[in-house]
Amino acid sequence: MSSVMRAAVAEARSNRGAFWTQVSAMALNDIVWVLFWVIFFGRVGTVRGWDRSRVFLLFAVLTTGGGLVLGLLSNARRIGQLVVDGGIDAALALPVPPWPYLLVRGVDPVNLGDVVFGVSLFAVSGSPTLERTAVYLLGAAAGAVVLASFLVAAGSLTFFAGRSEAGDLGFNAIILLSSYPVDIFAGTTKVLLYSVVPAAFVAAVPARLVDHFRLPQAFALVGVAAAFAAISWAVFTAGLRRYTSSAIWTRA
Amino acid sequence: MSEPWPLVATGSAARRAIRDPGPLAVSLAFYGVVASVLATLWRTAAASHGGALAGYSSAQFVWYIFTSEASIMALNPRQIELTGEDIATGAVAVELLRPAPVLGVRIATEVGRCLPRLMGCALLGAVFATVMVGGPPRPAALFLAAPSLVLAVTCNLTAQHAFAGAAFWIRDARSTWFLYQKLVFVLGGMLLPLQVLPAWLHGVAAVLPFTAMAYAPARLASGHLEPWLLALQLGWLAVLAVVARTVFAAGERRLQVVGG
Repeated sequence: MSSVMRAAVAEARSNRGAFWTQVSAMALNDIVWVLFWVIFFGRVGTVRGWDRSRVFLLFAVLTTGGGLVLGLLSNARRIGQLVVDGGIDAALALPVPPWPYLLVRGVDPVNLGDVVFGVSLFAVSGSPTLERTAVYLLGAAAGAVVLASFLVAAGSLTFFAGRSEAGDLGFNAIILLSSYPVDIFAGTTKVLLYSVVPAAFVAAVPARLVDHFRLPQAFALVGVAAAFAAISWAVFTAGLRRYTSSAIWTRA
Repeated sequence: MSEPWPLVATGSAARRAIRDPGPLAVSLAFYGVVASVLATLWRTAAASHGGALAGYSSAQFVWYIFTSEASIMALNPRQIELTGEDIATGAVAVELLRPAPVLGVRIATEVGRCLPRLMGCALLGAVFATVMVGGPPRPAALFLAAPSLVLAVTCNLTAQHAFAGAAFWIRDARSTWFLYQKLVFVLGGMLLPLQVLPAWLHGVAAVLPFTAMAYAPARLASGHLEPWLLALQLGWLAVLAVVARTVFAAGERRLQVVGG
């Protein structure tokens, strides 16, 4: 798996000019979101206990974890499209498990800019101490597992539905919902954010742990991440059993 | 007598979009999620400030956001990238053989493609906003918001083609869509009304064309009866059309395609 990922990274870096342009473009994209939150909280002050520094911490966790998934495991968001296009056929012919192979086979340099940005934002605004940094890294990693698992599970619905729109919608929904303070939502929406579309576990819960570390909650987060990984594997495997190639041979 | 090419291009693109309901349904669902989240944020913010912020009530914020999001989400966000790729790969050369201007046909086609999505988003947004905060703050202003939405997407598509025309000179112009999109998000008023911006940034945004792409229809839908916004949009559309035509005319003259 590590050699597959090394090959994917080398492929992404082959056009160095475009690589750095795209990394910079994503960092710029994130800066605009920071500007939005600066303007927002400059006007509003606080909203349901969320202020600028808490949202920056949320954003640092999200961009770090999200950047890792969408950058290093970029096929996680493309499972549905790969199924529709027959893009997983090449993986099925190899003597490796298709689930991890597909995940590490694609690297998207644009999203690696998110990781750089997230780490920088935490360093600048996250009041980093040894303990906070460790919790931030653990939280970003757990959030990344939840995000990747959800994306694969949503994309794997294509095995059953035959179309990839559910995966596309799932991707856009979880990224969007993860980037807002979870406490602005109430009722059913909030329940959904902790269950069907687990956006709360991608950034809000890890960010809360950085500020208020509790060992039981940390274990709960790790447990949730493991549970979503298991669900993701189960849905992908069940879907793969139904898969019949679209007879288009491509590189996965 | 045959129909004029702009009508043919717009109509056929709109019909194609309607006949493929899958992507249309996903766009509408995503619009519903995005606009609801952002509207909830601003509604909560206004509520925590005694019910109003920067001159907008909670209800006005909700109508503003559902309209501004509709004007942007009706479009393909990566249109600059797609157009730029067609130019960079030389695919646009085939279009030069048609007895109609490349730029005109492209914009007419994209307007047609986004019209069903725009109508769907606008209707869905109106339903969601009514459920959340009640009817439109001022129905007469909402009536003006309808043509303003069409002008907004036309301005946006024209500007995107002017931007993408850079690909005639710079081969890899793909990442520029990020920058363009963010300018529309903030300075165009998609994420927030311009009145929320600091005064100096509001002043900058007011003289840029991005206000014609989201702020104008959203301001009208939020109950501000300001017909001059339509004139502003028409003015920017004329300017942007001249810029895009100049860029494409110069680019087409220097286009070299190798191979086929």
